[in-house]
Amino acid sequence: MSLPTDFGPDSGGRVKGVTIVKAIVYGNVARYFGKKREEDGHTHQWTVYVKPYKNEDISAYVKKVHFKLHESYANPNRIVTKPPYELTETGWGEFEIVIKIYFHDPNERPVTLYHILKLFQSPVGEGVPPTAGRALVSESYEEIVFQEPTQLMQHLLTGIKPLTNGPWTHETDFEEKKKTTLEVISNAKSKLRSEITELKNKLNTAKETISKLKEEIAKLQNVSVQYNNVSV
Amino acid sequence: MADIRDILDIEQPIIPEITRETLLNGDKAKKKYITAKAVKRPEGMHREVFALLYNDNKDLPPLLPTDTGKAYKPNKAKLGMRKVRKWVWAPFTNPARKDNGVFYHWKRVTDEPKEYPFAQFNKQVSIPSYSDAEYNQYLRCEDWSQAETDHLMDLCQRFDLRFIVIHDRWDKAAFRDRSIEDLKERYYNICAILSKVKTNPWSNTVTMVNGEKRVYHYDAEHERKRKEQLKRLFDRTQEQIEEEQTLLAELKKIEARKREREKKTQDLQKLISRADGAAVGGSGPVGSDGAVGLARRHDRKLHKKKLVAQQRPIRTVENVSIELSGIRFPEARGAGVWLRSQRMKLPAGIGQRKVKAIEHELRQMNIDVVPIPTEMICRHFNELRSDISLALDLKTALGSYEYELQALRHQYEALNPGKASSGARRRRRRRPPTPSRLKGPRKQKSFAYKLLKRGLAKSFAYKLLKRGLANLMSPTSTSGVAPPLV
Repeated sequence: MSLPTDFGPDSGGRVKGVTIVKAIVYGNVARYFGKKREEDGHTHQWTVYVKPYKNEDISAYVKKVHFKLHESYANPNRIVTKPPYELTETGWGEFEIVIKIYFHDPNERPVTLYHILKLFQSPVGEGVPPTAGRALVSESYEEIVFQEPTQLMQHLLTGIKPLTNGPWTHETDFEEKKKTTLEVISNAKSKLRSEITELKNKLNTAKETISKLKEEIAKLQNVSVQYNNVSV
Repeated sequence: MADIRDILDIEQPIIPEITRETLLNGDKAKKKYITAKAVKRPEGMHREVFALLYNDNKDLPPLLPTDTGKAYKPNKAKLGMRKVRKWVWAPFTNPARKDNGVFYHWKRVTDEPKEYPFAQFNKQVSIPSYSDAEYNQYLRCEDWSQAETDHLMDLCQRFDLRFIVIHDRWDKAAFRDRSIEDLKERYYNICAILSKVKTNPWSNTVTMVNGEKRVYHYDAEHERKRKEQLKRLFDRTQEQIEEEQTLLAELKKIEARKREREKKTQDLQKLISRADGAAVGGSGPVGSDGAVGLARRHDRKLHKKKLVAQQRPIRTVENVSIELSGIRFPEARGAGVWLRSQRMKLPAGIGQRKVKAIEHELRQMNIDVVPIPTEMICRHFNELRSDISLALDLKTALGSYEYELQALRHQYEALNPGKASSGARRRRRRRPPTPSRLKGPRKQKSFAYKLLKRGLAKSFAYKLLKRGLANLMSPTSTSGVAPPLV
């Protein structure tokens, strides 16, 4: 990869006050064979992937993506250096895939994602249940935050070309999900806030009642002590 | 009955029964098979015991072991078919001996005459030798004269390096008395020097010094110390041994005590830290007056449950409103790459129980435990969880107040008993209690107390107390206090 500018070994130092956010989508699609394969018992073909959320060529800043598969796979450490950053395999079981994204600038440490490979539709599936014949999709949204990136990284991050000329869509409608999630959380928060105020009031009342009761008891105890003294 | 007769020695006419066996075996005179059918084996008696009492020929079992049977007679040793080989008392010479002594031993006639087999064990130690010139050049020593050294080498040769014997045979008249270590030191020194000298490459003389190149280094100082130590160990008196043992036992005791103390300190520390947090929950509900004994017992029971249910200690009254401020999420970090979702990780200080409780609340609110990570959602989500945590803490604190209030109520009731007359009390006790008969919370409560005092209908009494509490809890508000969440 040829660079227009040489930033030196420290990649030109950190750029203060700059934060660049790159949204990505990672996950897997899986397709059922329809039967158990005779020779190895595999039932599904699946593809695990990392792709940009927006229509951009992330190879501008991503050097390689490391997929760590289950140890039962032959050479479970798979490295993809060119887009599309995806890996297709067959199998019969779900497991956690560790995805590590390395950047072109070695001064920026790689980030690690964890994805549970999904092959089977869970009985209480959230989102749209895929219709028969269609592949099962399990993907997540993530934002990589480059806080005070190096000059080299900033250079790489700003000059990103689009990936395709056509539309860039995802299986999951993340925009809708963002909206509803934010709404639900905000609503819950405001509701909880009022609950907390109420709780605090109750707590204060309880506190007062306790102190009042204590006074009363102290009075009664004094009286009874006096009474006892008199009777003796 | 047969055995009784037998014990009493009552003779019984033997009537030989005619059975199949007697008919069949009657002719055979050699073998007498008279089955003891006439005497039946009593139930429960072992067959073997019975056989001792009643054998076939009615004889008593022999007192001495007899071995007359033919069947089990052991065979005579018949190990080989060939004839026994001859042995002769023959002379032999031992090549290890230099005096040509002739001895005799037993040997087979057929054996080949060969060298005495044990002669090979007569190992000779090769003692290095030196000429006078060599001695003067290399082996001079201030402490040792040549005569003395020669004497040593001679003894070494004679006694095959058995230094104890050498020491014993040391010519104490001619030379001064030397210890075994001194002798050894000198000898091995000579060996080392000679082996070095005689194997130097230019001399080209094959070494005869023990036939080995490696030099054995004798550490005389160490050996002396070792012997001294052993001698001291051996020379200890009985008192010294006993003293040592008591000291060792003492040490063990001290160490055990130390461990115990450390353990206690740790426990105490734990207790203190717990007590610090649980100032309200720990001391509040338990009253000091003797009259509250029942309430205390009741409370202790509840308290125990509470302790199990909540591991997080409850803070003091003042702290609740100030300190409980939810979760503090870590501030934005410095430069570098990070994932947005990392921001939603709960800080490490939060306990597993709390995390579970928060997740439970989130699910109740129909919110994903790991929502889609955008900046806004992250912020709101974290704030929400912080609030949930705060609400949970507040509810727990409220719960503890509830218990305290309850205890105080009990105390108050005990000091200021209800107006129910003694006659009414007695009547109520006899009749099965029903809640409908008791009107008004105060009456119910005092009644519950009386029940408790007499150890009657406990669960019913507790129910009454619990129900009454909701009304008594806050006189200002009509509604009761929400039950604790966790």
